[in-house]
Amino acid sequence: MSYADAALALIVTGLSAYLLFGGADFGAGLWHMFTRNRRTDREVIEHAMGPLWEANHVWLIFVMVMTWTAFPPVFADIMTAHWVPLSLAALGIVARGSAFVFAKAVPDHGGRYGWVFGISSVLTPFCLGAVATAIATGADGWLSLEGLYGGALTTMLCAYLAAVYLIWDARRLADQDAALRFRGYALLSGIVVGVLALPGAAVFGVHSPLIIVSAVAGVASLVLVARHHLLAVRVTGALAVVSVLWGAVGRAGLDLDAAAAQDAVLQVVFAALGVGAVILVPSMLWMFVLFQRSAPATAPNPEPAAPAETR
Amino acid sequence: MSTAVQFLAEGAATPADFVAARQQMAFTLGFHIVLASIGIGLPALTLLAEWRSLRTGDRVYAELARRWMKAAGVLFAVGAVSGTVLSFEMGTLWPGFMDKYGQVFGAAFAMEGIAFFIEAIFMGIYLYGWDRLSPRAHFLTGIPVAVAGVMSATFVVTVNSWMNQPRGFRLVNGEVTDVDPLAAMFNPATPTQAVHLILASLMVCGFLVASVYAVALLRDRRAGRVDRYHRLGFAIPFTLGAVCAPLQVIVGDFASRFVADHQPAKFAAMEGIDHTQAGVPFKFGVIEIPNMLSLMLKFDAHATLRGMDSIPADARPPAEVVKTSFEIMITIGMFLLALAAWWGFSWFVRRRALGRGGRLAARVDLPWKPWFLRAALTAGVAAIIAMEAGWTTTEVGRQPWIVYGVMRTEEAVNPSSGLRYGLYAVLAVYAVLGFATVSVLRRMRRRPEIGSDPAEPGGPSPDSGSEPEIPVGSAR
Repeated sequence: MSYADAALALIVTGLSAYLLFGGADFGAGLWHMFTRNRRTDREVIEHAMGPLWEANHVWLIFVMVMTWTAFPPVFADIMTAHWVPLSLAALGIVARGSAFVFAKAVPDHGGRYGWVFGISSVLTPFCLGAVATAIATGADGWLSLEGLYGGALTTMLCAYLAAVYLIWDARRLADQDAALRFRGYALLSGIVVGVLALPGAAVFGVHSPLIIVSAVAGVASLVLVARHHLLAVRVTGALAVVSVLWGAVGRAGLDLDAAAAQDAVLQVVFAALGVGAVILVPSMLWMFVLFQRSAPATAPNPEPAAPAETR
Repeated sequence: MSTAVQFLAEGAATPADFVAARQQMAFTLGFHIVLASIGIGLPALTLLAEWRSLRTGDRVYAELARRWMKAAGVLFAVGAVSGTVLSFEMGTLWPGFMDKYGQVFGAAFAMEGIAFFIEAIFMGIYLYGWDRLSPRAHFLTGIPVAVAGVMSATFVVTVNSWMNQPRGFRLVNGEVTDVDPLAAMFNPATPTQAVHLILASLMVCGFLVASVYAVALLRDRRAGRVDRYHRLGFAIPFTLGAVCAPLQVIVGDFASRFVADHQPAKFAAMEGIDHTQAGVPFKFGVIEIPNMLSLMLKFDAHATLRGMDSIPADARPPAEVVKTSFEIMITIGMFLLALAAWWGFSWFVRRRALGRGGRLAARVDLPWKPWFLRAALTAGVAAIIAMEAGWTTTEVGRQPWIVYGVMRTEEAVNPSSGLRYGLYAVLAVYAVLGFATVSVLRRMRRRPEIGSDPAEPGGPSPDSGSEPEIPVGSAR
């Protein structure tokens, strides 16, 4: 396995993680906008997404940095050809991330940021999915039929993932009603995404065993959701989604060997990533353990109840 | 290589698109640089306050630490997304640059990404762990936030210093080969640029946070009130800025000498040297001191310095922009240095006065004079302007090169048409973002009752002196 292969493997891993975690964040934004029981469901979504910031964009940054370092001409070609949807996606990330943190920082005035959060949660995965599909199929830009289809499919995949993940969170954080609602969303979006994905694979002539993997995992997920196996379905749901990405990667005819950076570069990058992982992995585990712990019983209220005099 | 041919072959679709790409990069980077500065400085300030709170058990310090970290959390989130935009723009605006040199400086960005991730994780732990960890453990989890912030800033600056002093590769028939990413990172411009930027970040953050409390202190004064929360909220960050200001002058001196030796075109633009000559005068605004620049730079009043006429016409930066922004930076730097000096002097006098009680007692109030608070109120915005001006100096001073002496900026730009519409979209979104950020921060800073003493009679009296408020920096 050459250094370039290892770099590609890391990029695909990063993309998969971004789709599974960041994608679920996007989908959560979509449900945040469309959910019927707003108060409860929105609280579940906001709590599930994290205390501070959408840290999952780190995966996207990782993928971009790895691509421009390991395969600079590929990065340059993609960014030149697709600068419009990618710029829109970047602005979507700005709008989403700031709306999310603003709504949390000033809960009384959070409402005005809700719609920004919702719209950008749909726009961003649509643009990214359209670009990915255009690259994978060699189509003529994001507004081609393939691009639009890929954008819609990606958005739905995100919505499906989010709903699947959120059933468990809803039961943990809210009540049975909320869990049932998200279960309904998961079944609905699962059927839609299956109906959308399989003909696409046929039209684009994907003859990969991954289609079968995705289809089987998708059907299994529907059964598991129906039967309330809420943690197992996270695994099968994720597999059904990520195999679509892997199928697309297999389709993309990128000339990576000719574009690869020199070994000296990749050695330094891998060494840095290795050192980074030694620090990052335990820190992340600690963070997750800490976050799963419930809030202290007597959380001191930092804001005094006295009439708030603004300076 | 012939620039005209290069421009036609590889340049932007239209000159307007080229200008738009540069403006978009300048604007988004200029926006991000303020947030990044706060991202470096505010964790440090928070830790200082929390450390004092652990040492003294004083709730005012704890309250300050909590407030600052909450603000740091919001600004970190905005900085994270505005930084993500820059990663996109590297490709959408400058694909030629990334295509050719992405592998040379890419490793630095990989390291920056790791440092940033560490910073994000510990920021989450620190914010979320307020009531879940022991006070000591909580303080310790803040240290990686501050350290990783400085590290990630340093890694990013290595890329910019590499653009000024490209190293770590060879060009053979126009192809990049023999890449040595570490040699690229540790190029000769890195040490001065990195230290200069980190000090600037601490100054921006320190003076900016202090300026918020200067407003409150002026209001307290009018109301005849002494509020320890506001005083400490001012003293800690202002002291940080004041300690950095003289250091920055020294580092800035090193940096300009480096530029004089390694980037003569930029230096000639900064100092307004039109012709190569001996005994160059020092020009600053309307002031002109004969032979002074030669003396300052070479310690020889008759030393010869290179002027803009020694640079080929097609390799000259826009001198007026560079000179003006350099002068703005220097002027504000001197203003901040003067404020820092007054702050140090007034605290020195105050300590003596508190010790003696009698004759000097009237001077206990010295650090809180209204004229000083009014000046300090402007210091935050002034420091931001100085930082933007300094950044303009180095970036515009490098033009027309994106990689100094190797790649021209117009070779790097995206050849697609319509880049200017991207600029308009970015300006619109960032205008809303900037407005919303300020509005959210204003809503967040509700005044706590802790530490204030509105009942104290007798108007603007010096506080009783039972617990002298020593700025943190001077206590060590």
